[in-house]
This record gives sequence, structure tokens and C-alpha cells, in this order.
Amino acid sequence: MSPRQKSLSGPGRDERGMASVAVLIFSIVAVLILVANFKLNYAVSVSGDAFDTFNSQMVEKNGVAQVVKESILALRETAVVNSGNSIQAEIQNRLANLGFPAGVSLTLQASANVPAHPFFPFVSPFVPAVSPLALAQPAYFSTSPRGLAGMGGLFSSLAIQGPVTDMGTLVYTFARSSTQAPGEDWTYTVNANLFSVPLTNVDFVAYGLPSSGLISAQAPSLPPGTLGSGVSALVVTSNNPATDPTAYPDLFAPAGQEQLPYQFRNAASFSWNAYEYLWNLGYQDALMNAAKAEADPGNQAVSVIDLTPPAGALYDFSRPAFDPANPGNYPCNPTIAGLSSSGFTLTVDCSAVHSQVIAIVDAEGVGTVNITGSPSSGAPFVLLIRNTAGNLGRTNVVFSGNNSCPAIFYLENANVTFAGSPQIEGALFLDPTTVAAGNVTWFGHFSFYGPASPLGTLSIAMNDDPAVKAALAGLAPRVLLVSTTATRQ
Amino acid sequence: MKPVSSFGREGFSLVEAVAGLVLFVLMMGALTYGAASLFKFQSQPEVTYQGKIYSLAPSFGEFRRAVTFHQLFVLAMDQADSILVLGGQRSHPTLDPVGPSSALGENFSDTTLTAAAGSDAFQGYASWDQREINATQFDPYLTSSPDPADFTVLTVQGQSRITSIAQHRRYTATINGENVVLYEATLQTVDWSSGSPVLVTNPSTGATPTSSYRIYYAANEDVWQQPPGATHFWYRTDVSWDRDQEGPTRVIFADPYVLAGQDAQAQVTSVSQFAYFVPQLR
Repeated sequence: MSPRQKSLSGPGRDERGMASVAVLIFSIVAVLILVANFKLNYAVSVSGDAFDTFNSQMVEKNGVAQVVKESILALRETAVVNSGNSIQAEIQNRLANLGFPAGVSLTLQASANVPAHPFFPFVSPFVPAVSPLALAQPAYFSTSPRGLAGMGGLFSSLAIQGPVTDMGTLVYTFARSSTQAPGEDWTYTVNANLFSVPLTNVDFVAYGLPSSGLISAQAPSLPPGTLGSGVSALVVTSNNPATDPTAYPDLFAPAGQEQLPYQFRNAASFSWNAYEYLWNLGYQDALMNAAKAEADPGNQAVSVIDLTPPAGALYDFSRPAFDPANPGNYPCNPTIAGLSSSGFTLTVDCSAVHSQVIAIVDAEGVGTVNITGSPSSGAPFVLLIRNTAGNLGRTNVVFSGNNSCPAIFYLENANVTFAGSPQIEGALFLDPTTVAAGNVTWFGHFSFYGPASPLGTLSIAMNDDPAVKAALAGLAPRVLLVSTTATRQ
Repeated sequence: MKPVSSFGREGFSLVEAVAGLVLFVLMMGALTYGAASLFKFQSQPEVTYQGKIYSLAPSFGEFRRAVTFHQLFVLAMDQADSILVLGGQRSHPTLDPVGPSSALGENFSDTTLTAAAGSDAFQGYASWDQREINATQFDPYLTSSPDPADFTVLTVQGQSRITSIAQHRRYTATINGENVVLYEATLQTVDWSSGSPVLVTNPSTGATPTSSYRIYYAANEDVWQQPPGATHFWYRTDVSWDRDQEGPTRVIFADPYVLAGQDAQAQVTSVSQFAYFVPQLR
């Protein structure tokens, strides 16, 4: 066969071989590129998925931590109503309401019961079986008392203001399983740190009552000079720019019910829920009962005729004073060290008070209480002035003279004035119906109902005083603060 | 021509066919394995800027470093009591509503916030507050003419202990005649477990910072729907009650595996995998 004939019949063996080699080389290069591209994309995909999984774990574990925190607060928050469920049931209820990816489940493996959170007057000496919780000034970094570092700034900003009680750490573990990814089964451990914080630790509070009253849409006006250096102030108001000009629309959702960001959870616990509890009958009655049970010997006048005259430290304007010469005139008020009466005027001399708690009841709104300060320090005490007269009239309360004996004053439906611009150490709690006027320099704690601020008529210069707060802490109502941190094993 | 077997018969026997198939599979497997070995390492275009090497995005090597970086960063945030974000837009809604505000210089390596340690926790809610409280400490480090993508994130325990310093920077330069945009992210973590601050080194290099990654784009590709940088969001500012309540800050780091504005008309626009809403307080 001639070459001519060969070319006409198609490529020769050599040409076919060269073409095959070229195709082979091309194939090899193509395969190399495809493999490289596949490996790179696969690696990126795996790395990206791993990072997504890592982020999901962070969200999941922090969600579990929040479940534990809210469950503990449901049982022990200083609030009018606490759940009667077990902590296990509370956690389980919240877990059931969480959404997880398909096949993922979380179950509570181990849990600790939440200890009681007793405070005055539910502890000794009126309930001797219950010991008061020890108080100590916390630090951020210390071993004894335990430091607050790592428990969150929102938590520590409230817990660092004065002496607190460390109620310990409760441990909860959760088993996390995934039917679709068995390699992603693990355990979450949640450490819940509980601290009992006296309400008087925060210097200045404009409180709200979301259940029985209102919350301030916007913060009350503060006259210049109200807050001194280092004074801690707390108010929780609306985040709606339409109702509070200090708020911004950056993160506000105008549709639907206004939501309070979780950032304010502790602040709401302190400035809303605790005051609902404080002005509720349960706490007020407990103070009254404590006053009745007050066993100070100075509260019982000596009578040779009546060997068992009325005792305690509850004074009622509706009853006459005890008359040693006429002991049969019952019911009557006991003699109380530091109190002297004249008609419907009662004088409380802070320098002469021996009782730990004194209650004054004015059911008809006819009384006047003059509180004269003590020039020297003394044992702290609680003075409750309870007016249940409603619109019949407020109880007049007049502070006069400087006071260096720290006291907690709970004033209900009162008309408060200050004579001569006194300087007073203590805690002043005004209920929503109390009004106040005058000038005063206050060292310690002051709280009032935000929607009915007295600051239009009352000129108060607040000062932070750690010594006063420390003195009052044992007698003050407490707020339970909870910090939870979760880890994955 | 039909195939002829070694035994002179036309066609392959079943054994021959199977053997051929096995041989083919072995050859292809060897080829794939060899190719995989050859492409174990990726050669990536790189440039040097201010003595540091930047890889052209997308870069898998830098992406791996970025994943390590962000795992450490997320852990630092998770364990912090408060987080400061300096730089970015809207650092204060009335005093600095537009920005960009100054970040801290990359030479900032303090391990404590000296002024804040003794301050009232109520006064330090926002990064703006912290900037004012620690003005004496921060002022020498505040950057001038900051880029919108520049920011510094400090994670803090208590009010004083800095547990990490994350820096994010964007530079523009002309390198080898090409206009480029360079992104740098560094993270320095601080170990306080001994009670004293120890700067944690990178386990690979044995030097600080603890983690970093650097990438660059051609300048005309640096177009983003969600550009890297920080944007502060606010609940409120209340001068009377001294309530500077800052919400979470949106922080977006450059992503080594995102093609930025490679196809600006595409429906799927570039979004970093490393975006966070950073709460100032936890």
C-alpha cells in the first residue's frame, strides 16, 4: 500500500498514538484540576460546617444556661408569685418550648434543688429556726469571698454595690443527642451562681410596678444636684422612641407588644418585681408581725397593777396609749422605747429606739409622726408607717434633725416633709401614693414610684455611703441574682 | 475488527473483562492518589505590605487560619464580663452618629483597664463610656483617619482584666502597579489563670499575636453588600440618669473565602461567614 493510499484511508498508527498520548495528557491534567478543585471545595465546606457547628454549640449551650437561670428565678425571685413546681419541672417545661434541629434533643441529666432565700423579717430573731444569710462585700477577683469575675457585667454591676450573700453554685447537666449525627452527642454543664443582694445596695431607684401599677414610660426628671458622685441609679423605662425620647429606633420593633431586651432582666428584677413584692401585703404583714413580736424589754411599761401590760412595737393611732394607772383600758398601745405620743401626734426619737422593727398603723389617716434624728450612731432599725386610710387622708411624716443612726423607713400613703434641710443616714422607701416635699441630704438608699415622682417638690441630694448600706443590709429585703455559665463536655 | 482473546477466540472472556476493569480501577486510583498528593499544598498569589504577607482571596490557607482565629475570638467573648468595641459607625448616637470612629492602634497591648477598675459598674455600660473612663489610657493609641472597616474588640473580665484584643484593619495600596485592598485581622489572647497576665503566643510560630490572617483583593473587587467593619446600635442615651445603654454591635470581619465584588451583578452577594452581634455587657 502506497503512502497516498494510506493517507486516504485515515491516520496512521503513529498519528493515532500521538493523539492518544495527547488525550491522555489532557485527561490527566483535567483530572488533576478537578481533584484539586474538589479537595479545596470539600475542605472549605468541612471547615465552614465545623465553624457553623461550633457557633451552633455556643448558641445552644448559652440557651440552656438561660433556661436554668429563668427556672431558678421562677422559684426564688423576689416577686409576689413564685412557682410551686420543682426546679426539674421548671427546666423541663422550658426545654419543651425550645426548638431544635431535626433529630436533636436535650434532656436534664442531673440537677440541684434551689435553696431557700430567706431575709428579714423571715429569719431570726422572729423566726429563730431560720438563720440570717451572712453578708460580705464582694470583689471581682478573690477566692474568699468568691469573686464575681466571669459572671457577667450586667450581673456584677448590681452585685458589686454593697454587701451580698453568696448562696453558692448549683450544677445542672444536660445530655445532648442527635439521631442524625451521632458524633454530636455530648453533655452541657451549667453552673448557676446565686447571690442574695439587699435592695438597699442600689442608692437611687425610680421603681415601676408592672402588675399592680405602671412603669415609667420615661425616666423622671432629675433636678441638678440630685445624684452625688458615685451614686448608683436605676430606672427601667420604655424602649419605644414614641413614648421615651431617650430611646432610639435602632433595635426597636414597633409592631406587636413592646419587648424588653434580655439585657435588662436583672434590672427589671431589681426595680420592678422586687417592689411589687415589697408593697404587697405579704411582706408588709410580715413586718407588722415582727413588730408585734418585738421583745425589747423597753417596750413594756412597768405597772404595779397590771403585771402583763401590752408588749411589742406596734403602735396604732386607733388605740389609746397604755395608762399604767388605768390598766384595764384595753386594747391599747404598748409603751415603745423611743416613741412618745400626744393625741394623734407621735414622736419617734431615733436615738432612743431599742427595737429592731417598729410599725405604726394609721387606719384613718389622722396621725402625724415626727421623726427626730439621732446625732450618734446606733443599732439599725426598721420603721414602717402604714396608712390604710386611702383617700381619707395621708399620714403626716416630718423628719427633723440630722440622723446618724441608720434606719429603713417604709412610708405608705404618707405626706413627707423635711424640716431644716436635715442630713439623714438610712433608706427611704416611698410607696406609690406617698408625696414628699422639702430639702434633705440623704446618705444610703432612696426609692420612689417612677410614674409619681416626688422630685418636683422634694429636693434631695443623694450620697453613696458604703457604711450605711452595710449597716442596713441585714434588715433590707433581698433580691436573688443568678448568673449561669455553661460548658460543653 | 472484533477483539480477539489470547486463546484465539473472538471477544473477551468474563475473567479478562473483570481483570481489565480491576486494572483500570487501579490505574485511575493511582492517578487520583498521585494527583491528590501533588495538590496537597496550594500555591497562592501573595504580596508583602508593611513587612507582612497577604494572600489573594479566596485563600484556603488563610481561611483555615481564620477559622482558628474566630474560634478563639468566640470563646473569649463567651467568657467575658463585658466587651468593648472601638471604631466603626455610630459609636455614639448624638456625639458621633456617623463615624468612622477611632480604633486602638495595633501596638496596643495593655492587659488592664486602669481607670475602669475602680469605677462604678453602672457608669460603664457602653463602649463610649469606657472610652471616656479610660481616656488617658486610650488616647495615645487612638488611630487618626480611621478606615470604616477598622475596629478593635476588647474582651474584659471584671472591670479591669483584658482577656483578648482583636484588631481588624483595612489598607489600600498600590503594589506591583496594581491597586489592592488589604485586610488584616489579629487576635491577642491573655491568660490570667496564674493571676498575672500572660500574652498567649501562636502555637505554630511561638510568637505573638495568638492568631491572625491576612488577605487582599484587587481594588475594583472590594465591593460588598455587608462591608467589613463595626456598626454600633443603641437602646438609649439619657444624660440625666447617665444611661448610655448600647445594644449589640454588629461586627463583620473580612472573610478569606469570600470573593467580595467579583460579580457585583450576581444575585448571591458576598456575605462574610464571620459576622457577629457583640453584646457590650453579658
